[in-house]
Amino acid sequence: MAGVPALLVTHADLGAALLRAAVRVYGPADDVNVVSNEGLSRDQLEKEIEDQVSLWEHGGLILADFWGGSCHLCGIAAARGHGEVIVVTGLNLPLLLDYLHNRGALGPRELAERLQQKGRDSIRLHHDLNA
Amino acid sequence: MSWVLRRVDDRLIHGQVVVAWGNHLHPRRMWVVDDAAASSAWERDLLSSVGPPDVEVRVLTIAEATAGYAEEEKAGGAAFLLVRDLKAALALHDAGLALHTLNLGGIHYSAGRTRINEYIYMDDADRERARRLIAAGVILEVQDVPATRPMPLAAPETRATFPLRSNSDS
Repeated sequence: MAGVPALLVTHADLGAALLRAAVRVYGPADDVNVVSNEGLSRDQLEKEIEDQVSLWEHGGLILADFWGGSCHLCGIAAARGHGEVIVVTGLNLPLLLDYLHNRGALGPRELAERLQQKGRDSIRLHHDLNA
Repeated sequence: MSWVLRRVDDRLIHGQVVVAWGNHLHPRRMWVVDDAAASSAWERDLLSSVGPPDVEVRVLTIAEATAGYAEEEKAGGAAFLLVRDLKAALALHDAGLALHTLNLGGIHYSAGRTRINEYIYMDDADRERARRLIAAGVILEVQDVPATRPMPLAAPETRATFPLRSNSDS
């Protein structure tokens, strides 16, 4: 049982590349799909996303690349009316790895809030050890 | 100062507009002129919530935009005008608005449209609208982001499937 499903919605090949990287680090990632906005109008992207989230019986997460982009906007529009489907923006690799590790233990809302924190916490400065 | 970008893009507000054009031109306001979006409270709220924190997003019908356009032209700070398609752009022009230069940033493929470049596709009705705008003196420039070269769309290119050079060719 994989747990909460997720859809990565990104510009260009970012989602597919992030997923490949996550699988290398973490292992197989069932129930995670990818949509690129490449060459799509707003209506077309919204439909591509909705085609996937409409299959989710108990909600799920749309992991979009950045706030204010078409992946975010179309994710919000496509999630409408499909239950507990939550859009998380600012997708990065640590966030995706944390999703894979916790998706079986938490519901969509708790998981989304955890990922928001995890994504923020993952951006750190490593002080210069040679200074 | 006011209008610094008037753009046709079927994605309306999105990354290229917010990040690339926004950081380049620093608008204070973004007008989304779209009858469908403006007639839905949910759409208005959505579009208003996704702009940058220091930018005011207004979602307006064509009639509302027409009424407020001249006043906005005199307002302080820069503003963007965003429409979904050439139909809306032509409606604004026909309502008497001076569009000057119209940026074509995203008219994506749908049935009946043929390719101008990788992000601009037009059907016969789009070409007719483009011809009318060009004939009226509006400059149509194909350009997705500020870092690429604007390619003027000339009248002959609206008549046939004449491919503009894509960014990768230039």
